[in-house]
Amino acid sequence: MTKEIEHVIEVEHLTKRYGALLAVNDLSFTVRRGEVFAFLGANGAGKTTTVEIIETIRTPTSGKVCLFGLDVTKKKREFIHRIGVLPQGFNSFDRITVRETLQYYARLFGCRNADLDGLIALADLKDKTHEQFHKLSGGLKQRLGIAVALVNDPEVVFLDEPTTGLDPHARREVWAVLLDLKNKGKTIFLTTHYMEEAEFLADRVAILSKGRIVALDSPGHLTESHANYLVLTLQAVEERASEIIRKMGFAPVQDNHRNIKVRLERADDVQKILNAIQASGATFRGLDVRKPNLEEVFLSLTGEAGREDHAGGWGAE
Amino acid sequence: MNLRVIGANLVVDIKSFYREKTAVFFRIAFPVILILVFGTIFMDKDDLSFDLCVQDLDQTKSSAQLVQTLTGSDRFKITTIAPDLNAAQYAKDHKLNLILGIPAGFEKSLMQKMIIADPDASFALTVVYDPSASAVTTKMQVLDAMLAVANQKLSGKPPFLHLVKTSILAKKYRFIEFFIPGIIAMAVMTSCLFGAVNVNAELRQKGVLRKLATTPITHTDWILSNILYQFLLAALATVVILLVSYAVFHVRLQINAWLPVFVVLDVFAFVGFGMILTRVAREAESAAAAANAFMFPMMFLSGTFFPVEMMPGFLQKFARILPLYYVNEGLRASMVSADNTAALGYAAVIGVFAAVVFVLGIMTTTLNEDRT
Ligand SMILES: Nc1ncnc2c1ncn2[C@@H]1O[C@H](COP(=O)(O)OP(=O)(O)OP(=O)(O)O)[C@@H](O)[C@H]1O
Ligand SMILES: [Mg+2]
Repeated sequence: MTKEIEHVIEVEHLTKRYGALLAVNDLSFTVRRGEVFAFLGANGAGKTTTVEIIETIRTPTSGKVCLFGLDVTKKKREFIHRIGVLPQGFNSFDRITVRETLQYYARLFGCRNADLDGLIALADLKDKTHEQFHKLSGGLKQRLGIAVALVNDPEVVFLDEPTTGLDPHARREVWAVLLDLKNKGKTIFLTTHYMEEAEFLADRVAILSKGRIVALDSPGHLTESHANYLVLTLQAVEERASEIIRKMGFAPVQDNHRNIKVRLERADDVQKILNAIQASGATFRGLDVRKPNLEEVFLSLTGEAGREDHAGGWGAE
Repeated sequence: MNLRVIGANLVVDIKSFYREKTAVFFRIAFPVILILVFGTIFMDKDDLSFDLCVQDLDQTKSSAQLVQTLTGSDRFKITTIAPDLNAAQYAKDHKLNLILGIPAGFEKSLMQKMIIADPDASFALTVVYDPSASAVTTKMQVLDAMLAVANQKLSGKPPFLHLVKTSILAKKYRFIEFFIPGIIAMAVMTSCLFGAVNVNAELRQKGVLRKLATTPITHTDWILSNILYQFLLAALATVVILLVSYAVFHVRLQINAWLPVFVVLDVFAFVGFGMILTRVAREAESAAAAANAFMFPMMFLSGTFFPVEMMPGFLQKFARILPLYYVNEGLRASMVSADNTAALGYAAVIGVFAAVVFVLGIMTTTLNEDRT
């Protein structure tokens, strides 16, 4: 019984095949009560497949999945009212308004006194309360989906790409909502392509690649243990600096804002490069030395691009 | 079964229905328009009263009496034209397809026959007609029949052979009364087929069913809600169709317990059928196309718009494998001819079909994403 308290989700040797395709390959992990757990992975890595098996939407090919210690393939009725789900690309009934949608799901869960207006405020949909679903923009639909996922005051919330399609403001608002939920003791299972989202929200991150977990740890530990190098950034640097650094045996990467990034294995390399540039008389506006972020770890671990808009760039923040 | 959940689904269904104008049009307004259009087109045929133009050149008491007899028969609406006109020219100018002429000397010949009792005496009435007009043949047949009656009255002898007519129907029914049961069957079928396809393919494709799979709603509650909603729509469509038919065409139909029985069987059969179709054709569009592919032949070949007996033999045989045929015939048996035995037979066939298809439909419908 203590195990149930500790781990709300237990996945053991989970495998899912779609015909010949092995979408999820022998996954094992646990999620603790009250933590924010993030699945980070490229398109087609198997995030949705795994999450939807836990949510009972899909059935596993083999392996065992327990929620609150209950087998998800057999005991759905016993735990379904304790979870809240935002499926990837949330959709609802076209002609039903925001408030009516929340009301509908509240009724399905038998929550007579669900705080619909509170949820509407939380999703920042107050002036869209009586708008029909099909008239909402993509981001507003997504936010309604998050509110719907919370309508039964669930203990565990599953959010499959909650901030995909949201503008930067809305994304930060959603993050604030999720942090608030975490503070209330909810367990949150998140999937995302956004490294900064995982880094900002998650207690632990599982990096998923081709149906397998390639790393699982806190964001801090992941960057610590999988990337013991430094990233030096020189801002608005003169063209010739790049040549000088290359001659020293490093591999500078220049972006189209005249910023140069160099990956360094040792801390004293920073001094060497700065000295060389100063000696040449080349100027730069600023510099920044830091540990690699989760994205760089992700790219080095999976050997594939996370998302197009992050691919190739080092540490876009 | 959870009544709260079913109630929540019904609320969403009903709101979605009346907020979706095309749904209201196709499920309620469209059958009503069909009735109004077809009812009006075929209304005249029921009365079988023709326009007939008569030119009386005799201008005697006897010729006037003949015109009077034709008028009194209520098969003809008589108009007369002046004797000094050229009948053929007049017909052309006024687009008349038939003018009956009573030549001068009619009374004289008639008197002669009466007084002398000459069995060979005869008199020719003239007909100016347009052979290209379609109604002319029927008109002349009716005219012939009436003249036969008149001749026979004049001769004073009753005909030796005559027909005694007994309709196999309880009463003479009009086209519109044949048409209404067919339209009810059709309206319920289309509504259910598209309802089932919409719910099960479109909502699946949009991922709404995936979300529902993570709520306490069960597979049974989901299907029950859909069936209940389709019943409500079917009942609404039936009531509206009947109200319009009674108000506009003053139909006389037998409304009894068979009506709800056939409507319910119609709902089960085609909701089940729709659920199977959606399983076979997984995309919403292809499922809708498949539904159309089944519906149109069914509408035209199962006797919705005209009696199956009017079709060639092989098509009549084909009609008998169409489920809608049994709903059509069953509704007609009960509503038009009040034939309970026949209605029971049709109900049995469509009942078995509905049961099989519905059970298969339930088995093939899931909220979950996959069934591997
Ligand atoms: N229903 C399905 N039938 C067949 N293959 C599927 C199905 N669902 C997913 N797949 C395949 O399984 C793999 C994993 O898909 P999944 O949706 O789990 O990825 P994901 O990590 O969620 O990707 P994304 O970031 O694009 O949402 C992909 O190769 C996908 O094509
Ligand atoms: Mg996904």
